[in-house]
Formats: sequence, C-alpha cells, structure tokens
Amino acid sequence: MGQQANTALPSGFQLEEYTIDRQLSLGGFSIVYLARDAEGKAVAIKEYLPNSLALRGNGEIKPVITPEHLGAFRYGMKCFFEEGRALAKLAHPNVVRVTNFFRANDTVYMVMEYEQGRTLQEFIHRHLGHISERFIRGVFTRLLNGLRVVHTNKLLHLDLKPSNIYLRTDNTPVLIDFGAARQTLSSDSPILKPMYTPGFASPEHYGERKNLGPWSDIYSIGASMYACLAGATPQPADERLQKDQLIPAMVRWEGQLSDQLLETIDWCLNLNHLYRPQSAFALQKALVENGEPLPEKPVNESWLGQLVDKLKKKS
Amino acid sequence: MRFTIYQESRQGGRENNEDRLAHCYSRDALLMVVADGMGGHYYGEIAAQIAVQTLTDAFQREARPSLMDPFLFLQKNIGNAHHAILDYSAAHKLEDSPRTTIVACVVQDNVAYWAHAGDSRLYLIRKGRIIGQSRDHSQVQLLLDEGLISPAQAETHPERNKVYSCLGGNHPPEVEFSRKTPLESGDLIVLCTDGIWGVSPGNTLVEALRNPNLMQAVPQFMQQAERWGGAHGDNLSMIVVRWEENYTELTQSAVSTQTMGLNEITTKLDEFGRNPNYKSELSDDEIERAIEEIRAAIDKYSFKK
Repeated sequence: MGQQANTALPSGFQLEEYTIDRQLSLGGFSIVYLARDAEGKAVAIKEYLPNSLALRGNGEIKPVITPEHLGAFRYGMKCFFEEGRALAKLAHPNVVRVTNFFRANDTVYMVMEYEQGRTLQEFIHRHLGHISERFIRGVFTRLLNGLRVVHTNKLLHLDLKPSNIYLRTDNTPVLIDFGAARQTLSSDSPILKPMYTPGFASPEHYGERKNLGPWSDIYSIGASMYACLAGATPQPADERLQKDQLIPAMVRWEGQLSDQLLETIDWCLNLNHLYRPQSAFALQKALVENGEPLPEKPVNESWLGQLVDKLKKKS
Repeated sequence: MRFTIYQESRQGGRENNEDRLAHCYSRDALLMVVADGMGGHYYGEIAAQIAVQTLTDAFQREARPSLMDPFLFLQKNIGNAHHAILDYSAAHKLEDSPRTTIVACVVQDNVAYWAHAGDSRLYLIRKGRIIGQSRDHSQVQLLLDEGLISPAQAETHPERNKVYSCLGGNHPPEVEFSRKTPLESGDLIVLCTDGIWGVSPGNTLVEALRNPNLMQAVPQFMQQAERWGGAHGDNLSMIVVRWEENYTELTQSAVSTQTMGLNEITTKLDEFGRNPNYKSELSDDEIERAIEEIRAAIDKYSFKK
C-alpha cells in the first residue's frame, strides 16, 4: 500500500495507432500523454491508472492490478467511462473534444484533441496581479458558452478551477478534465472518493452533495475569477462556513475594476447556493452587461492593435 | 515535508490478521501507527483497530496543520485508545477485554517523537546503522537488560512473546516515550510488529533497506520474512518512511506536502473488516459495451471531415 506514482509509458511507445511523445500530467487517477496520431497530428491521451489500485513499475507496460483491487479498479473504470460518455456527446469549441476511446494494456484510454496553449493556472502565475477586467470578462464569457452546453446535457463539471481551464494561443478558453463529472453515479466506494479541489469547490461539494447543481459550477467559476485577481486560491468553502474570511471582491479591489464585475464575482461566491446566479446563462449575461459589447476575439488582430493592447496592459 | 512511505500488512500463516497499521499526514505533520492485536485474547484485531483509529481520528482533528505538542498528543490519545478498548468490551460484555500493543510516531518540523507499549518496535536507521530503537516491554527484554540471558537466548526464549504493557489490559498501559529526535535527510524510520522483527535474523532488515527503492525493498523483505515465519507464522506488518527534506534527491514516489491545504489530511487506513467487496463489478462484456457506446457517441456527434 505505498503512496507511489505510476511510471509513464516510454516516449516512442506505439499505442494502437498513436505514438507516445511525452507525459503531460500525472494525477492520482490518470496519466495524460502528448502523442501523435497516424497522420502526425498532436493528440492528448488520457490513460486510466488510479495509483492506489494499479501500479506500473519501471520498464513495464501493463500495470499490476492485484485481485483484491480488481473490483475497485473496475468501479473506477465506470467513472472514467462516465467522463468519456459525457465528453463524447459535447461538440463545442469551448469544450475539449474526445476523438477516440479504446482498451489496451488491461486498462482504457481516451484520446482528445490537443491544442497549443496553457492553462489559466499558468496564465495567472505568469501575470500575477496584472490580469485585466477585459481579459476576465472575455475568457469567462466564452467559457460559459461551453459550460452552458455541459449543463444543457444534464451534466455538471464539478471540478472547475484554473488548472482545468485551458487557453488556446489566441486565449479562447477550453474546458478540460471532466474526471469529476457525473450524471447519476453515486459514490459509495471507499477508495474512489468524490473529487474536488478545496478553494474552488462549492459548499455543496462537501457533505451530502444533494444540493449540487449548475450553481455549484457557478461557485467554482466565481472562485476562478477571484483567483485571477488574487493570484491565489480563495479560502475553501468548508472553512468559510465555519468562519468566513474571504474578503469580498468588492472590498478587496474597489476602484481597481468596475463595481459591476466585482459584484458579479461576489454574487457567484455566495455560500448559500440560492443566492448565486442560478444558471450559466444568468452569469454570462452579467459578464457582458457593461455597455461595451464584447468582440468575438479578445485581442486586436492587427499588429497596431496588439501594440495598443500591450501599452494599455502596462499602464 | 518530503518523504517516501510504504506500509503493508500480511496475514502470514494465521487464520486472520490481527495487526492494524495506518499513516496520515497533513501539510506539516506525519503520524504513523502500528498495533498488534494480541493472540490468545478475544477480538485482538478489534483492539488493534480501535487503537489505530483513535490516533488517526485525533490526528485529523488536531493537526491543523501541525500538532500543538506531539508528545502530549501521543500520551493523551494512547490513553484514550486504552479506554476506548475497555469501553468497547464493557459495551459488548466481553469476558476478557481485547488487547493490543502499539507503537506510534509523529514527525513534525524534522523532529521525530515516538511512543510505544508492548513489543511492536520502532527503529531509526541512519546511514545503514540502527541509531535508535524502542525497548520491548517484555519479560525477555528485562532479563536481557539485567544480563541474565544472552541476545541469542532471547531469540529463542519460550516466553519471548509475553509483554507486560499493552492497551486494553486490566492495568493502565506503561507507555514509553522517546526523546525529541532531529532527523536528517535519508533517515529511515521503521515501525513493525514482532511478526517482522521476531523472525529476521541479525542485520537483515537494515541490509534490505539499503535498496533506495522502498516500494521494492519493503515488499521483498516482507516476502522473505513471511518465508522465515513458516507455514504457521505470525501476522507481519510494517511501515517504513524515508525522510527526504533534501530537495535535490527527488524520487518519483516521494510525497510532497507543500501543495496541501492547511486543513487537508491524507490518511491511508484500510477499512475495517477484510477485503471489502465492491458491488459494482464490471464484466469484460460491460466494458466492451461501454466503449462501443462511447465510440458511437463520438461518431454521432463529431462533424465528419
């Protein structure tokens, strides 16, 4: 029962029609690889490999799953299928596309489109304290287009946070990692606890979870917007319930950004789920409500426009 | 904190496993507990489970993210565990209350604090040498201390399994505390039951742990110990942690707690009872069907190029 990280498949490994390039990320539940398909196009491949249940040693390909863990391993696989099912149905430019799903090496793999870019998390770190109102409104308004489609399909993302929001090179946002998304799947397995991230998870994520709804994803969006400004994770909701020390955006950044945006952020971060925007659409409306219509693309296309933007950001 | 940890318990040749073990850590503190429920007493495994659970529950409450006073924590909660076992046997009207040994260790601010009752042991190994070890609460150890028997005689003494301090007994346990022991990077702390130390000759444990890959070394060693124990060998359990504050020696399996929230605790404790069965067994057919379904959805919803 070690606390151990799994070894990634080696670079150059031929997985069906895909060639593994390198490991992109490693979670407790899966490994994500950058790979090339038969036509040489870059794809991201997610390998189901919960490290508490299946271990791949150095130089091995198939993970070792002991008989006592097989039940739990297969149970977790159900959740992985749930993620695949959820994503397969969603064809939207702001939601990551699944292009293939297959079984190999005693486990299962999900192939997704890969695009150049970085996560919002990385963006926040690089632009600590210098994220503009325009950027926040632009990114989150378009992200909410994706989230609306997710909710329309009777799905909740349930693990929205800056590291699960991917920004293409032109800063259009893409929702990634639906590992926590569930429709009806109840979680009674002691090993595979529901996943959420303290600081971004809503109060309903904790405890009985019967009040989860679109408003729970909205809380996470609010927390992500707050993190853009603060450059750090907000106080976790369970702690806030005991002693709320989260300084309202309205107080913390008064005068630096428009009151309307700051109010909207605080609106999302209400501890009582009934007081938040009840749908992604309601929040989206609030984000575009500023008199100024939002362009489809966030930056001016011409070099002159880009220069002007840069100067604006610096001032 | 930075460390690599491995824990495992094996049944050996016995009918059930009365050993219990757990480790849990917050951002700034690590707790490890090993308890050996005593054979010959009814429900030894229950005593061991209560002991381990009492300590881990308390740790989850009190490590926020560090413990106010690690020794006080150990003293208070080992005492609580003893009383919890007595309460259990009173509530269930047991003729003889179940008993268990215990050894528990807290590491915080690079300092180790440990306490024990009975003959489950802790070893501190630095640079391939044992520099600290808990002293068994057994008659044999007393005889050994007084020079009445030799170490070789102790290894085969007929009463070597008898302990004079344990949790759940008629007398309050005699709990022995270590000193505050500062750790160096590379130090190994081993907590184990007599199923391990009782069968491993001489320096074999230290030798086995020279292998820097604990995830390999410990199970290999336990395999060996199980063989030494023979067909009717005792339960075997051990937790090994390598302390690694040195950031240059990054190993794949190391646990770093820097990114953990202040009130977050990770616990590794097996569920009570043996091998929980998962209702939701997924058959090969069902897997194939799920994959088919997902592929169909992908085809259906993707724009044909």
